Amino acid sequence: MSVELAPGNKRGLTLASPLIAGSGAVGYADAWPPGLTAAMFGAVVTGPVTLRAQRGAATPRLAEVVAGFALEAGDHNPGYHRVLRDHDAAWRRLGVPVIVALGQSHPEDWVRLAQHLEEESGAAGLELVIPSSAGRAEAGTWISATRRAATLPILVKLPVASAEALAETCVEAGADALVIGGGLPAVGRVVGPEGHGRDALWIEGATGGPAAFPFMLQALRAVAALELQVPLVAAGGVTRLDDARRCLGEGASAVQVRSLCWIDPARVAAIAEALGPLPSANEENTP
Amino acid sequence: MIQTHATLITREVLGAGQELRLYAPELVRQLRPGQAVLVRGGWGADPYLRRTFHPIALDDETWTLRLPPSGDWAHAWLRVAPEGTELDCIGPVGNGYHLRAQARNVLCIGEGDAAWALLPAILDATASGLTVTFAMEAGLERDLIAAMRLPAAVEYHTATPDAAGRGRLPLADMLAWADMLLAAGSLDFYERLATEIEAVRFGVIEGFAQALYPATFLCGYGACQACVADVAGGRRRVCRRGPVFDLKDVTRVR
Repeated sequence: MSVELAPGNKRGLTLASPLIAGSGAVGYADAWPPGLTAAMFGAVVTGPVTLRAQRGAATPRLAEVVAGFALEAGDHNPGYHRVLRDHDAAWRRLGVPVIVALGQSHPEDWVRLAQHLEEESGAAGLELVIPSSAGRAEAGTWISATRRAATLPILVKLPVASAEALAETCVEAGADALVIGGGLPAVGRVVGPEGHGRDALWIEGATGGPAAFPFMLQALRAVAALELQVPLVAAGGVTRLDDARRCLGEGASAVQVRSLCWIDPARVAAIAEALGPLPSANEENTP
Repeated sequence: MIQTHATLITREVLGAGQELRLYAPELVRQLRPGQAVLVRGGWGADPYLRRTFHPIALDDETWTLRLPPSGDWAHAWLRVAPEGTELDCIGPVGNGYHLRAQARNVLCIGEGDAAWALLPAILDATASGLTVTFAMEAGLERDLIAAMRLPAAVEYHTATPDAAGRGRLPLADMLAWADMLLAAGSLDFYERLATEIEAVRFGVIEGFAQALYPATFLCGYGACQACVADVAGGRRRVCRRGPVFDLKDVTRVR
């Protein structure tokens, strides 16, 4: 079952499976959980990349919420130059498309990043993560500028709360596909030694896990109802095969899994097998 | 690292804590003292996060985790899971303690619940013919590890300092005697330890002391960036660089 995520783009972005490893699920395609290989996915989205190195959020970063967690890592990354130096060769050998996520902390840098990535990397596409605070005008400006700077397929990841409101603007600005998910805030209590020995320590971050699913699904339906003629990708709280099938049935062309790779890789493998057939990727390149 | 099922074979209730002995030969073959195992505490989607455990005992086919007294809901599930339950485990995570070939006198120092992670390392060290001293601090006497849990050859010192820090372990003699130190505790504890080492040994020399970083893991394989810590060299993933670090790397950045 192959999927075309950029039908309006000359370069195209063809996936051999509708299952995508979501942003950072396998780091920069260098951190693989036990039992998972690139061949199980139609594409891999990297962790966030920014122009300069980012230390990310303060610690602790992880807290538990009902049926999920709050994680605030910021755009922690060593900067695009080092990411390419360390990982680009592996991306080119991976055997499945690698989509590079551009960090949301500095959208004003997306143009330069897109140029660098197009010229210097084996990236098959870009994922632009629209900050939750962004309005139509900002989102449109950032995307159209990035579109002019690079020919790579552009996937725009929309915050759940504003996905419906921003979707049309993003497509008009040049998005090849829309990723529905992300930007869902959560506040949770820190578990483990960081949270012991003092009053409960609470942190605020993005929701991960099944808690995000109903909100993402609602946003997916709303965007699908707009009939924008671009592929949609569901990305938020998909933790069961039924969830993935439901998203595909509600208008998504592909589904991203992230937290499930971290929590239960065996279940990801089962979903991949059920959604197959598996692509003929080079398994040797995934440790 | 593998994802596997571990069968709960025995449960021992010790005071307010519990010890669960788990049959998981494939995991145990790879597991070393100080490494972590991520265990799911429930069958459904909630609680979603795995819990981080360091083995308190290891043998050929089983490992033992300790559930401390806590209100944690995953711990609560584990506390009542019947024998025979298959627990979903991912591990081992990161690097454990390692015994230097030249070491003869090993000092193990633990603080509170974290000290339990030293037990397998103590057994390894004594089995290797090393002389081991174990020193432990806890807030209450009942939280100290019972002497009978240690090999007979191990010298054991305990302390229950008060809130103001009075009654702490007298470390000077022990630090002068040791040529290797394994520690498990809080970051504040490591800071104090480093200060004592500097006073007795004129500096925390690389390779002398290893410290188990108190971290909670999400993925355990370096993707999620949840467990990062500021250590020597910058902000690093504890699951990749640790959880056992050189004490010098953990303390000199604070």
